[in-house]
Amino acid sequence: MNIDNTASQMRKGVLEFCILSIIKEGEAYPSDIIEKMKAANLNILEGTLYPLLTRLKNAELLSYRWEESTGGPPRKYFTLTEKGAGFYKELESTWFELANAVRALTKTEQGNIDNNNFNNP
Amino acid sequence: MKQVININFHGRVVPIEVTAFDLLKNYTESLNRHFANEEGKEEIINDIESRIGELFQEKITKGATCITDDDVHAIIKNMGRPEEFEAMDDTQSQSSAASSSSAAQEQSAGSNQSTGNKRLFRDENDKVLGGVCSGLANYFNIDVVIARIVFVVLLFSGIGFLTYIIMWIAVPSTATTQIGGSRKKLFRNPDEKLIAGVCSGIGNYFGINAWIPRVLFLLPFLSFVSRWGHWGGLWDFGDVLRFTFSPTSLIVYIILWMVIPEASTTSEKLEMKGEKVDMNSIKASVVEEMKGVGKKAEKFGKDATAVVTEKANIVAGDVKNFARRNRGGLGNVIAMLAKIFAYFIIGCVGFALVMGLFALAIVSIGYFPLKDFVIHNDYQNMFAWGTLIFFIAVPIIGVITWIIRKIARSKSHGNIFGWSFGALWVLGWVCFILLITSISKDFSYNSKSITEQEIMLINPGINKLEITSKAPLDRYNRRRFLSFQPFSGIQEDTAYVNNVDVRIVKSTNDSFKITVIKMSTGRSRTIAENNAAQIQYNGIQKDSVLLMDKGIAINKTNKFRNQRVVLTVYVPVGKKIKIDRSISWFNNVHIGSDWNNNDWYYDSDEDPNEWKPGVEYTMKDDGKLYDINGNSSSRSSNKTKVNINSNGVEVITNDDEDNYRYKNTEPVNKLDSMKMKLENEKQKIKDSLEKAKQKIEQQLQKIGENAEPVPLSSQIPAFNLMMSIN
Repeated sequence: MNIDNTASQMRKGVLEFCILSIIKEGEAYPSDIIEKMKAANLNILEGTLYPLLTRLKNAELLSYRWEESTGGPPRKYFTLTEKGAGFYKELESTWFELANAVRALTKTEQGNIDNNNFNNP
Repeated sequence: MKQVININFHGRVVPIEVTAFDLLKNYTESLNRHFANEEGKEEIINDIESRIGELFQEKITKGATCITDDDVHAIIKNMGRPEEFEAMDDTQSQSSAASSSSAAQEQSAGSNQSTGNKRLFRDENDKVLGGVCSGLANYFNIDVVIARIVFVVLLFSGIGFLTYIIMWIAVPSTATTQIGGSRKKLFRNPDEKLIAGVCSGIGNYFGINAWIPRVLFLLPFLSFVSRWGHWGGLWDFGDVLRFTFSPTSLIVYIILWMVIPEASTTSEKLEMKGEKVDMNSIKASVVEEMKGVGKKAEKFGKDATAVVTEKANIVAGDVKNFARRNRGGLGNVIAMLAKIFAYFIIGCVGFALVMGLFALAIVSIGYFPLKDFVIHNDYQNMFAWGTLIFFIAVPIIGVITWIIRKIARSKSHGNIFGWSFGALWVLGWVCFILLITSISKDFSYNSKSITEQEIMLINPGINKLEITSKAPLDRYNRRRFLSFQPFSGIQEDTAYVNNVDVRIVKSTNDSFKITVIKMSTGRSRTIAENNAAQIQYNGIQKDSVLLMDKGIAINKTNKFRNQRVVLTVYVPVGKKIKIDRSISWFNNVHIGSDWNNNDWYYDSDEDPNEWKPGVEYTMKDDGKLYDINGNSSSRSSNKTKVNINSNGVEVITNDDEDNYRYKNTEPVNKLDSMKMKLENEKQKIKDSLEKAKQKIEQQLQKIGENAEPVPLSSQIPAFNLMMSIN
């Protein structure tokens, strides 16, 4: 059992949830998303973000529009679709259950997660 | 020392070291391999490349001369290699990458704020054919499927197809050019130029020798020189349209000169040469484009049915809840339809304006040779040329230039063009207004004296008189591409104006008598009188035929000043009269408002008879003309008259029972009865006016059927400003 692999699996599981919660706050350009995640100390490679966004878009959880940029082709700005919002709600409740379960099971000081700050670590 | 090359990377020209370029190419190829089985592979790679292009752009705007190996390494590190995607390895954040990325972030955030308005793009990532619909949908914030359905519906009307093609060409795409591949652009070539490098640039674009376009431009010009003496051809529009008329090639060259930017920088020169645009490369790109079309179309079909059912449900729901909530699918559809309608209207108005401009140009060029018959000094001549060039030609060239620039997507020195065209057009307006005011002065005074000059008849005692014109009408420009009617028969330097009115009245004795009243306008009363006196309009009697001049002669010294002649024919009772169509063919020419009979101290309505040309009439004792069948041609028989004087109001129509009279003399006592009466009268007036209107319309229709075919110029309202044709 590889510790890195397990950690990466855990992170991978919440990545979509994190991206959706960032986009939920408002329209986002991919590098905005990277930046917000970095600020939250959740580091991912930019190259991994694009496939994820495309998958979410193809699953109709996200939609995008083009916005003019200075000097160059326009940029994609992503927003949550109605379906995406519903999907997010489900993920959110799942996350609550899971987080509470993990806290109850581990009973550590660190796992002090509640409704108010789970979103802004 | 390292070699630096220019590449076109996602719509940006990027100078990059050769080694760095190889690194980049390897990286994108590895990405291609990694995402090979991924759905939406092109889109993912496109997004990543687009982001890399943005980072390059930031480097260059910060002052880097070119992209180095280190830059590419840093970017790849930040993006992550495909192997790393799999492992999702993120031990600790790379401080260097983080800092560079955050710097980049600040920049992009800054640029975000400065971008306000939307622009229309074709969406390369979501397309069936060219991405036009998805681009439009994105622009109007509507569902792409709706845009597609609208286009498919329009397709059956033919408009959609054309619109789609035009938009495909004209709307820039969100750009997916292959890395390293440079798209060719049309530039003027300053290195191999004879005049402005237009031909050389065209040669470069099509990969042919520069002499081929040069010869194509020169050939018509040589033919022009050889035909120098044949200036008559200037007015032959067929030639202009066929491009054989050489100044056209000159104009095309000048327009291209203005439109095509010069390749001044190295990257522009690279773009100019580009990869060869030949049939193979076109075919390759078309095949590439078409590969996915079938599949995409099928997917679109599925999407469409799904969305239609969904929307139908929403609409049904909306209809139920419409009172409560006015948002959702239906609202969007209405908003979209309103937008489309608005754009359609704007488009139509614009198109009509452009077409009107062209029509105005054609008509004014057609009439231009006639200007010497009107214009009396150099100032007016100058203004006339100024009007033609700046008021008419400049906007046309401007519009053509604008369209070509729009298609060629050239962006440089756009504002200067707009301003200079605008300034020239203002100059044109000034010329036009000065011309109009100056010319209208020449028509401001009418001649006053109404003297009947008798045309001597050799034998006035004949039983029948036939009045006809000396020569058959040879109308101006009859054989030309366009024909213009108002000036009948231009011969050499003389034009003939057919402003002849004919009255037929009863003679007091038993011989025919013919008189002429001459009228004209001028800059002053005296000049007007003088102009009237100079009118030559005579006739010669040959047996029973009176041959009149074919019109009032206008030449370059004896200018056109609304000269007009009223021919009065006094017919003895019992004798016959016939007037040929060629005498007065209902195509009077005059400049300014309608004939105002009060100004002329003459009322043609007093003419009791309404005769038709080419019909033989007999004068009867009551002063009326009767044709062979004994029908009266009396004017009052089919005209409605409204007489208003101190005695009251009188409306006389053909039918006696509809006649209306109101006499002042009738006593009116009570207020109520007055009111009632008033109401009654009102209704009566309304009815009889309605009837009168119908009569007049019938009459007009009749006239319309009888008259000559309507000349082209009368169909263009703008032209009536100057000249109205009766």
